[in-house]
Amino acid sequence: MLNIKDRDLVVPGDLIGNEIVPDMNCYMEGGNVYSAVEGLVRVDGRKIKVVPSSGGYIPKREDVVIGVIMDVLTGKWLVDINSPYICAMSGEEVSRDAAKTDLSRYYKVGDIITAKIGSVNEVYSCQLMKPWKIESGLIIDVNPKRVPRVVGKQKSMLNMIREKTGSRVIVGQNGKIWIKDGNVDLAVNTIKKIEKYAQTQGLTDQIAEYLDKESR
Amino acid sequence: MSGNGDVVLIKDGKRLDGRGFEELRDIKMEVSVLERAAGSAYVEWGKNKVMVGVYGPRELHPKFLQDPTKAMLRCVYNLAPFSVDERKKPGPDRRSVEISKVTSEALSSVVMLERFPNTVIDVFIEILQADAGTRCVGLTAASLALADAGIPMKDLVSACSAGKVDGQVVVDLMKEEDNFGECDLPMAIIPKKGEIVLLQMDGKLSRDEFKEAYKLAYDGCMKVYDLQRKTLMESMKKFVGEGGIENGD
Amino acid sequence: MEIEGYLKKDYITNLVNESKREDGRKFDEHRKIIIDNGYVKDKAPGSCFVQLGKTKVLAGISIDVGEPFPDRPNDGVMSTSTEFRPMASPRFESGPPNEDSIEVARVIDRGIREAGAIDTKKLLIEDNLVWIVFIDIHILDHDGNLIDAGGIAAMSALLNTRLPKYEDGKIIYGEYSGKLPIARVPIPCTTAKIGKALLVDPSLNEEYAMDARLTVSTTENINAMQKGGTGSFNEEEIMACVDAAFEKGNQIRKMLSTD
Repeated sequence: MLNIKDRDLVVPGDLIGNEIVPDMNCYMEGGNVYSAVEGLVRVDGRKIKVVPSSGGYIPKREDVVIGVIMDVLTGKWLVDINSPYICAMSGEEVSRDAAKTDLSRYYKVGDIITAKIGSVNEVYSCQLMKPWKIESGLIIDVNPKRVPRVVGKQKSMLNMIREKTGSRVIVGQNGKIWIKDGNVDLAVNTIKKIEKYAQTQGLTDQIAEYLDKESR
Repeated sequence: MSGNGDVVLIKDGKRLDGRGFEELRDIKMEVSVLERAAGSAYVEWGKNKVMVGVYGPRELHPKFLQDPTKAMLRCVYNLAPFSVDERKKPGPDRRSVEISKVTSEALSSVVMLERFPNTVIDVFIEILQADAGTRCVGLTAASLALADAGIPMKDLVSACSAGKVDGQVVVDLMKEEDNFGECDLPMAIIPKKGEIVLLQMDGKLSRDEFKEAYKLAYDGCMKVYDLQRKTLMESMKKFVGEGGIENGD
Repeated sequence: MEIEGYLKKDYITNLVNESKREDGRKFDEHRKIIIDNGYVKDKAPGSCFVQLGKTKVLAGISIDVGEPFPDRPNDGVMSTSTEFRPMASPRFESGPPNEDSIEVARVIDRGIREAGAIDTKKLLIEDNLVWIVFIDIHILDHDGNLIDAGGIAAMSALLNTRLPKYEDGKIIYGEYSGKLPIARVPIPCTTAKIGKALLVDPSLNEEYAMDARLTVSTTENINAMQKGGTGSFNEEEIMACVDAAFEKGNQIRKMLSTD
């Protein structure tokens, strides 16, 4: 039984209902489900999640992230991915004989890379794979919890931005977005607008309108 | 707490600032006021002005302090040197250390620390202007800032004080009442459960007076909670596009 | 919490669920209290060594003269501090007081100060000169409930403190001119909450297991309260702690004597 309806706003501690399954950012106590964050309730049958208004980045397998090389060690690098948790990248990603290679020839401290998260352990330490060095272009910060809206369902939003601005855009799930070439200003403004109004209904259409207007 | 007989605190059934016995001072709350912090809040409560910045969860150094089962919650309450009449020397004094401790304990009862092993959540409470009840203002603002940072919590924490002046139990002491009254009782609750997470008292109360003061403080906390909820809801308006997506934004 | 803490927590919680305590006490029972006044009486004007179960604390009272606070020109001054001596526990380190030590000192201080235990109006020596009373509590062995142990030791020491002789602008150490004037005797009482159970005077292991604690310091009124720990209390539990504090306070007050 629900105490709220789909798309209601909640704050921590608000009662969502009972006999439902808490999916994300809510918790169960005494048979009832409560919100753990401030955000938007989404009801999917008996599954309930709260889309948070904000929050940090917790590494997840398969996520594409943008990070900075923090340290070069024997056989691996340490990468800062804007998370409280350390990310490592094995030297095997570039060389078969990683332990004997001077890895800083490939990526040195301060280099910016985009990579995929391969594995995450139970204290959220993760391993990166398939790195690609980023040189030039612009990197902006976006609230990690709002990044999914910049991508959109089946990348619909992201493709629209790429098309209308002509820019190359790589979205790091960890709240870093790289933009290069094309109408960079428009891309940045659009992404910032999406971030601000992230859970607005019909956002994709409104952004399409905005892009059309601004790219004329 | 001197119970100084020279200062009259209640005249013709009204307090020095014209309030009734169960009336709180004017309160204004705002969140997301800082750019760099993960979450932040600013509260004006009577003449109190308090700002809170939250960082984290973030990496905890030194490593030996890390707890693989949960995050550490680190709370620092600080009075700015210019916040009080006589300049306060910068740096933590014993009172600030104690307030930091009880504030941290109150927040720890709701923050879901187990979700972020090996990290630290830093809560910085800055009292910019002080006029009695600063620990309640700080804790109330800290709760807002944690919600603003998206840190999962079981509930908000809402705080309010009560006290006794000129023999009368009242809610939300202001500075003169705190200085010359007979009792100060700061309290904080977790509203959903209705239980107490911060409770201190100094002064002189009979058992019955304590029950009275308890009730006033508790009701005060619930009023504060209402305002906290309104503030957070208001801050999410743009998130859901209330009022439309503006141009030139 | 160190390993030992985690192990003890489960053990104690299981006992509590069977309505038992590790040392066989009832939930509303204090451990055995031994009070030894004048423990260091050759130097300190007042002192008291208290054993609360296995917790051992030594409160020493030092007296000085000085200026009163400007807003209270006719009142003597009191100040309380505690030292968690490293010998008292493998977890205590040398150095300035940490937040636990500061909290214990301040809660004990408030219990004594807010009750008006020391009759500070009688501490005026002459214009702009008053007696200053220092309460220093040395924690020597930590087996839980340092606030109650320290508060009882401090109060008993104060009850047996003599004021030094003050002549020609000097304190004559070793000679005394009467007793420190005490108006009333506040006693702190700490109750721990473990699950839904309330246990008076928690031992160290019970402190590892507790969710929260409430200290209430009483005379015939309530003079100070301090909730500690990350758990919560409801109103009923708080009133139960208050009632226990009045009852225990009266019992323990009878044990304090003036020699």
